[in-house]
Amino acid sequence: MPSNPAGGASVTMTSDPVTSRVDDRLLADLEAVVGEQHVRHTPGDVHPYSRDATPLFSSAPDVVVFPASTQEVAAVLRLATERRVPVVPRGAGSNLCAATVPVRGGIIMVLTRMEQIVEISAVELLAVVQPGVTTAMLADAAAARGLLFAPDPGSRIVSTVGGNVAMCAGGLRGLKYGVTRNYVLGLEVVLATGEVLRTGGRLWKDVAGYDLTRLLTGSEGTLGVITEITTALLPMPQTALTGVAYFPSLAHAGRAVSGIITDGVVPATLEFLDQKCIGAVEDYAHLGLHRDAGALLLFGDDGAPDVVKRNLQRMADRCAAEGAIDITVGGAVAESEALLEARRCSLPALSRLQPLTVLEDATVPRPRIAEMVDRIDQIAERYNLLIATFGHAGDGNLHPTACINPADGDAAVRVERAFGEVFQAALDMDGTITGEHGVGAAKLPYLQARLGADQMALLRRVKAAFDPAGILNPGKLGS
Amino acid sequence: MTAPVTDESARVTSPLTTAVTATADTAGDALQRRGIFTAATLDRCISCGFCLPTCPTYALTKDEKSSPRGRITLMRALETGQLADDDPTLIEEASFCLGCRACEPVCPAGVHYGELIEEWRDHQWRGDQRPLLVRPLMWMVDRTWRYGLAATIRRHALTRRHTDGPHLMLGCFERMLFPRVSRVTRRLRPELDATPIQGCCGALHAHNGELERGRELARELGERLPGTIVTTAGGCAAHLSDVLGRPRVMELSEYLLRQGTPPLTPLLVDGRRARVAIQDSCHLRNGMGVYRESRELIRRVAELVELPHAGTCCGAAGSYSIVRPKDSRRVLAPKLDEIQNAGIDYVVVVNPGCQRQLITGLRRRHSAIRVLHLAELLGMAAE
Repeated sequence: MPSNPAGGASVTMTSDPVTSRVDDRLLADLEAVVGEQHVRHTPGDVHPYSRDATPLFSSAPDVVVFPASTQEVAAVLRLATERRVPVVPRGAGSNLCAATVPVRGGIIMVLTRMEQIVEISAVELLAVVQPGVTTAMLADAAAARGLLFAPDPGSRIVSTVGGNVAMCAGGLRGLKYGVTRNYVLGLEVVLATGEVLRTGGRLWKDVAGYDLTRLLTGSEGTLGVITEITTALLPMPQTALTGVAYFPSLAHAGRAVSGIITDGVVPATLEFLDQKCIGAVEDYAHLGLHRDAGALLLFGDDGAPDVVKRNLQRMADRCAAEGAIDITVGGAVAESEALLEARRCSLPALSRLQPLTVLEDATVPRPRIAEMVDRIDQIAERYNLLIATFGHAGDGNLHPTACINPADGDAAVRVERAFGEVFQAALDMDGTITGEHGVGAAKLPYLQARLGADQMALLRRVKAAFDPAGILNPGKLGS
Repeated sequence: MTAPVTDESARVTSPLTTAVTATADTAGDALQRRGIFTAATLDRCISCGFCLPTCPTYALTKDEKSSPRGRITLMRALETGQLADDDPTLIEEASFCLGCRACEPVCPAGVHYGELIEEWRDHQWRGDQRPLLVRPLMWMVDRTWRYGLAATIRRHALTRRHTDGPHLMLGCFERMLFPRVSRVTRRLRPELDATPIQGCCGALHAHNGELERGRELARELGERLPGTIVTTAGGCAAHLSDVLGRPRVMELSEYLLRQGTPPLTPLLVDGRRARVAIQDSCHLRNGMGVYRESRELIRRVAELVELPHAGTCCGAAGSYSIVRPKDSRRVLAPKLDEIQNAGIDYVVVVNPGCQRQLITGLRRRHSAIRVLHLAELLGMAAE
């Protein structure tokens, strides 16, 4: 059996054989629940659901179902628990940790038919949506009412809100605005055994019981299927401006970041590119970047125009004080947008270098970013790999990105080993193996190193409490 | 109590149970490549899914297999032999795709999806598998004399002199369906040479599983029309520029912006400036990045009304409206709603397929909105 070169340790198929038991009777029962046209089971029809946005992970489901309501979700889950067939809930399949790859086959439950924006309340500053609504759809609908849906994962144009909550998606504004979990007020969730629960609700204050809303947020489809989300919104900031600064080294940029924050500014944007990224972006987009600089720092803020302007000036001053080679501050929104182009181009530029792009997201405490990137560079050199790093300087969330040609001998194996060392380096610095992408099948082998045996055991007990038959996304968190 | 899913329970298998394999589906794994696709193009997709919201067929189905990413996953399975040539999903999806290439401009990895779909059909539609309805069309345009006859029936533009160009290409369908377009174009730019015997650009062949013949036709046309080739059909422009190189080809709006137009008088309707929307040609916009030019020209003579989905496919998609009329109408329906709700007098097109599609669709709805080729609109303003 072919093994997975980059995740060989994670998906040990030989010791963990198929658990799906999909037969004609189950297919008929599923069709009775969601309608014949919403069940797919031919090899060609299920194959496109063998993967998500994670490179190197692929495993076909036996059947794909498209429920349209909470009741249908519940009925499918009851069937699956009764027959002990795995169920993997899926939104747009844009996650980067193989969270929606059905490593044990079974049922893929696609929630994109549930795509109603149920309510947007400007008075209560919240939205109620079904899980299949895309992040961009919700953000646009909120913006039309003068409101901001703050979480902005890179995949926002395709990702679903259900997927964002299940994965606790992050984004570019983590430091100032937090991530998905900071906005989820309440959930409707269906347990594996078919009970429909409502956790939390429309309240900012509500301490009745364990905080199941937070537990379910980031549970990666292993504890329940989210069928409705109540999420907090914010007033739309009046304006947003961005600046860019080049530094001789990432260490200089790191000191500027620390300085900006101790100066009392909590910027909406604080993104960096290392030298390799700058070079790749410049080769690709010809933006006129200084390719001899050691680091590029994008800084920005949003809010009332005078406050934003003042904060931009303070950040620019701090960059200058820490030895920035060159600083540009966008005076207008359009100029600011243009400056962000370097960051937006990072992944496109890197993904063109080689056929395979492996994007990771090790995260360290903010003051240790430069040290961590140094470690990444050393590891990359040792394994003879191109690993360029960009990321969110505000929250220490790094995206070391390896560009390889899988046909090039053992490149995939070297990437796996190198990233194993990168994760360990992050842990050594009080960091984590994943800041925003999630665990899924891809990071499961590294999870114990992050959590320890006791916490892993507790995760399994939590999982068993929610899903006694173990049908929900097996082979992932809590397995 | 229900027993947990364990390794023990896993040993019980059923006929439908598939083996779970976690494999790389790009190069370098144990699976052999069949060479159906250009490896570097197929490998480029990073499966991020950014293409999903742009795909008209995904919008209709919300099913991964009908999205560009899903289709690339299917192509990879075909390439590695995980799915067989006669897999019904492969056959259906190769045909259901409009080939509009709306997925290309949004792709962060720069996947040339248009090339992949051509290679896919080239393999999938060999021999008997080609849609029946498209065969007579391909036969028709395959020899110059066949549609040359059309010149005697339809009065498209013609010049007898032979020059080094610039040449006005007389698209096979346009010369038969909308001969006025080339006539008006020559009124706008009389130096354009419209030689009668030109040949077909080959796009029809290339998009319908005869990739090499499609390229050959384009090269032949390039030899018959030396120098710059100006075309009024976005689809032909994109295919020609793929084969002959971008510098040889200019679509009408590009050419007019560079060379200028005769003096234009703004078009008035009921004493106000005419309200005009544009429907982009998919391949012109997504393949060649040309869409600002036509808007600039419309603004010179009318009030431009931007439709929210002007850049998405109208469902004509070359021979698609003939091969899959039902799906073509499903794609068209929301566009007609948009056009009818925009409060416009004219909708402008830059490709004969779109022209036919919108005329038919609006006629069916008894709409008073007129469909004009850009040349026709400018021709009215130049009179």
